[in-house]
Amino acid sequence: MSVPPGRPDEYQEETERQPPPGQASIAMLGLAIGILLMSLQLWLLTLAFDLYRSGVRGETLAVALISGLVFLGGLGMLRLLERRPRPRVGEPPRE
Amino acid sequence: MGAVSGAEPRSERLSNRARRERWAVEFPYGWDADELVSRRELLRLAVWASGALFAATAALAGLSYARPRARGTRQLVARASDVPPGGERYSRYPTADDHAILLHLQDGRFVAFSGKCTHLSCAVYWNAERGQLLCPCHNGVFDAQTGDVLAGPPSRPLPRIALAVEGDAIYATEEVAS
Repeated sequence: MSVPPGRPDEYQEETERQPPPGQASIAMLGLAIGILLMSLQLWLLTLAFDLYRSGVRGETLAVALISGLVFLGGLGMLRLLERRPRPRVGEPPRE
Repeated sequence: MGAVSGAEPRSERLSNRARRERWAVEFPYGWDADELVSRRELLRLAVWASGALFAATAALAGLSYARPRARGTRQLVARASDVPPGGERYSRYPTADDHAILLHLQDGRFVAFSGKCTHLSCAVYWNAERGQLLCPCHNGVFDAQTGDVLAGPPSRPLPRIALAVEGDAIYATEEVAS
């Protein structure tokens, strides 16, 4: 992507932060799945409240565990996508 | 959004400084602000929201273990001789604002349930012909022996009220989940 003349230098840095070609759609898909899972968690919360109101213990705990797994998955994804300096063309990869 | 003056004709001879100033007018957001809505930042926000939802769910689970839902104190609800087999007695339990139903089943047992429908809290009544507890608001049907949902939109059974029969007196001791 060429830098338009007269634009600030940040523009170039910003464009370099884009996912590699072909992976942008994968990133968007991951984000969409994450938001869907968050909706699932919201539903699980209403379910847990319903179970709490009806005095059921074990199933409330199971619902909380499922919600926790979704949260852990999100944390893992965040760690996986941690920003790492990308080597420039011609530069040796950093340690 | 900033208004574009339009007074200055587009020209290739503009200096870089002039171009930058015009760009700042047309798009008055810095790159730092632009980064706030990046995918990575959105993902981070989503993960924290997910953590909050998990914390709320876990709190409910913890609460159900720490403080089981049982309400009410010992209270006289009826005399056994006043409720014939197949009959019912409406009362208030555990508080004066809570409807409750005492049933004398055909097999001789006494059972009592909360009179609030678990769907939207309408008052439940006893239908002797059908032998069921009915909620007239949305046609919820509950089993008279267990309080379980038989039909309609309610998803939870009616909370049961524990009874103690001493001679002719029937006492409600606490409201417990079915």
